[in-house]
Amino acid sequence: MRLYWEVAKRAFQRQLAYRTANLAGLTTNAFFGYVRAAVFVAAFTAQGEISGYDLRAAITYTWITQALIMVVMLWGWWDVAATITTGQVVSDLSKPFSYLGFWLARDVGRALYFLMFRAGPIMLVGELLFDLRWPRSSDVWLCFAGSLVLANLVSFGCRFLINLSAFWLTDAKGVGALVFTSIYFLSGLVVPLRLLPEGIQAVALALPFAGILQTPADVFLERVMGAELVTAVALQAFWAMALLVLSQVTLLAATRRLVVQGG
Amino acid sequence: MAVIFETGGIYRRLIGAHLRSQMQHKVSFVLRTLGTFAANFFDFAGIAVLFGRIPQLSGWSLPEVALLYGISSLCFATAELFGGALDNFDTVILQGTFDRVLLRPLDALFQVLTEEFALRRLGRMAQGGLVLGIALAQLPVSWTAGKVLFLAISLVSGTALFLGIFVLGAAYCFWIVQGKEATHVVTYGGDFMSNYPMDIYSHWLKRFATFVLPIGFVSYYPSLYLLERSDPFGLPDWFRLMGPVAAAAVCLAAWCAWRGGVSQYQSTGS
Amino acid sequence: MNGPPGPAGPVIRVQDLRKTFRVALHHRGALGAVRNLVERRFKEVRAVDGIGFAIQRGEMVGCLGPNGAGKSTTIKMLTGILTPSGGDVEVLGLSPQRKRKEVAARIGVVFGQRTQLWWDLPLIESLDLLRYVYRVPAERYRRNLDTFRALLDLDSFLNTPVRQLSLGQRMRGDLAASLLHDPEILYLDEPTIGLDVVAKHRMRDFLREINRERGVTVLLTTHDMADVEQLCSRLLIVDRGRLLYDGSLREIRDRLGTERTLVVDLTSGEGLDGSLNVPNAREVRADGPRRWLRFDRKDTTASDLIAAVASRYRLQDLTIEEPEIELIVRRIYEKGLDLTVPVKSAGATL
Repeated sequence: MRLYWEVAKRAFQRQLAYRTANLAGLTTNAFFGYVRAAVFVAAFTAQGEISGYDLRAAITYTWITQALIMVVMLWGWWDVAATITTGQVVSDLSKPFSYLGFWLARDVGRALYFLMFRAGPIMLVGELLFDLRWPRSSDVWLCFAGSLVLANLVSFGCRFLINLSAFWLTDAKGVGALVFTSIYFLSGLVVPLRLLPEGIQAVALALPFAGILQTPADVFLERVMGAELVTAVALQAFWAMALLVLSQVTLLAATRRLVVQGG
Repeated sequence: MAVIFETGGIYRRLIGAHLRSQMQHKVSFVLRTLGTFAANFFDFAGIAVLFGRIPQLSGWSLPEVALLYGISSLCFATAELFGGALDNFDTVILQGTFDRVLLRPLDALFQVLTEEFALRRLGRMAQGGLVLGIALAQLPVSWTAGKVLFLAISLVSGTALFLGIFVLGAAYCFWIVQGKEATHVVTYGGDFMSNYPMDIYSHWLKRFATFVLPIGFVSYYPSLYLLERSDPFGLPDWFRLMGPVAAAAVCLAAWCAWRGGVSQYQSTGS
Repeated sequence: MNGPPGPAGPVIRVQDLRKTFRVALHHRGALGAVRNLVERRFKEVRAVDGIGFAIQRGEMVGCLGPNGAGKSTTIKMLTGILTPSGGDVEVLGLSPQRKRKEVAARIGVVFGQRTQLWWDLPLIESLDLLRYVYRVPAERYRRNLDTFRALLDLDSFLNTPVRQLSLGQRMRGDLAASLLHDPEILYLDEPTIGLDVVAKHRMRDFLREINRERGVTVLLTTHDMADVEQLCSRLLIVDRGRLLYDGSLREIRDRLGTERTLVVDLTSGEGLDGSLNVPNAREVRADGPRRWLRFDRKDTTASDLIAAVASRYRLQDLTIEEPEIELIVRRIYEKGLDLTVPVKSAGATL
């Protein structure tokens, strides 16, 4: 257990070195947040409500999703696949700890850094530029924290599985990029999934990817309350577990394949 | 004139090497091109979904916004096709490979531009072109020869403008080597904001995007002209035609910045 | 050879060359990080501090110096990569800074650490691209390529991507690439670094060949004394941005390396306990009947010493060892040059 803590801590510290890059990335995220919010401001001039969101909620939605992009690391994570192509994975797998746990711990450390140094500042900028809708009670904050943790687990599971495809595919990045673009939309980043037409919306919300950004955002906004809230978070938890189990199973299959092939 | 042909020939050869090595891995090429097509498909899908819930955006209909999106997307993707190497320029400086550029009897910027020619960007170009085509088909534009010519010129000048911005971003790396991330606000940010009518932005941002970093001339002002809309902020009508002038200004600034950057490099080393 | 020879006079002329870098000093610690943002202090580093020399067409010159001596910086100024802070540089009668492209078309450069070739392309494609970059006529390209293929034995890896080549293969590729356009000057920066003995020999043979057959002026910087001894007629020694020595190898040996070592094999037995006792020489090493006697040519000649040894002991065999250039050069680095000795040899002109 101590090992995973150390791994997480080190991952956090490693990110600290990229101060300037973080600042620049933060500016980009914030600018995109501004543009998206401006679109909503214009959209709401004719009507006061769209799909259950009012203007303030919609603006907050854009800012919270922008803030969380780097926390859940929606795309561009190829660390595991890189070790597979270099072959380092072979020695990593023979170490006496959970491979999955190791990478998860690293991701937690990384995510915590971005929560503090990316999400925080972005929300601050959003609050300065617009009037955001913050959670009104500590219950909501608690639910949001839980939802965020689950969102990270779901995202990690997706990324991990996509990376593992490098064991079987020569061009894992090519295929993976295609999958990531779908995830990017289905997470609710481009537009809230609740704006989709009814039928498609139901499917989209049932998929694991909605749990990456849409659900935690909706929890934050109190767009989902009571029974809806429980369902949404439970669905997140279900997918998180399913993806992690699938990851572990796939990992075992990959390890067996390595042993058979001789590395 | 002979110099231009000769340079064109050299460019063709250098690019040809990239094309050959990319075409060798056909599956990979197809996947990645599909990837860029899909990524931008989803971007536009978001806009379409929004318009499923609202009738218009600040007085612009979906086909009109699609016109904005199509022009800016196509211009950006084409600029990326030719100038993609500029995004990795910070690596060139950091690893000292810029020395090699200075050792060859060719213009330095020209050489850097030939370092990459990623065919996968055709996916994004196709997507942008598709949206543009559908928008044009649906829009009640009274087409004249002048307008057609203007559209063609706008696409070229818009691409040149973006390319100039890429060069500015790369030149920035001569002074601040970790600068790549910072330039993304301007490049990707500029592209993103060009997808929407500038009416929705604050007054200062619109001024900035017109007079300081004239991103607005890529899709917004040309669209105003094609759709025969007047500028809601009261700028004169001939302003809408200034796309090529804006592009030329940006390219000039970019060229000066680049030259200054090379001088700086030669004086301080890597 | 390409066209008529250039104008008479040195192909490389350097006068009072200077290059000063401003290096930012970083404050340390947490408070220092904040101070770094507010005030920046700089330190001036004089990488090159008044170097002058002239190289004539067809010469093969070696440049020696410890790391950070200013060798690479000088080469970068000669090739137009860096602009001097002061002084004059003239290559083939042109300023490498003002006429970068013209000069680049007439020189070849090989950096030991970095390649000129395209990383992902097969070697032959790199060479083919360079043909267009340097505007080499098809016929000349073909001829040069065939020559280098034979001389450097390129055929076995001509179609391999450069990133998959071994260091030796890549160096051979770089050599071919640098000469495809028949440059008048070839600069090499640490060309034999990391190569095995065979590869080093092959490269030296090749360089000698192109210098002899094509009249290419060669300037190479190196740490390897063997490179210098086997290739260079003239030696520039640089340290701390200054030129310490500019002259021939022989002269450096003659003037500064007057010590020799006489190695004698004596018949074992009589009177061999303890060191040998011979005037004007001292024993520096012993291995049974074999003794190493160091003497200074200023004090005695080799033949006199041999006679002295033979008269006292029974001599079976002998050799004379020249001092290593290595030792001489190290002494120059450490003690600086003896200022009573003129720096430039009689042959060099400016």
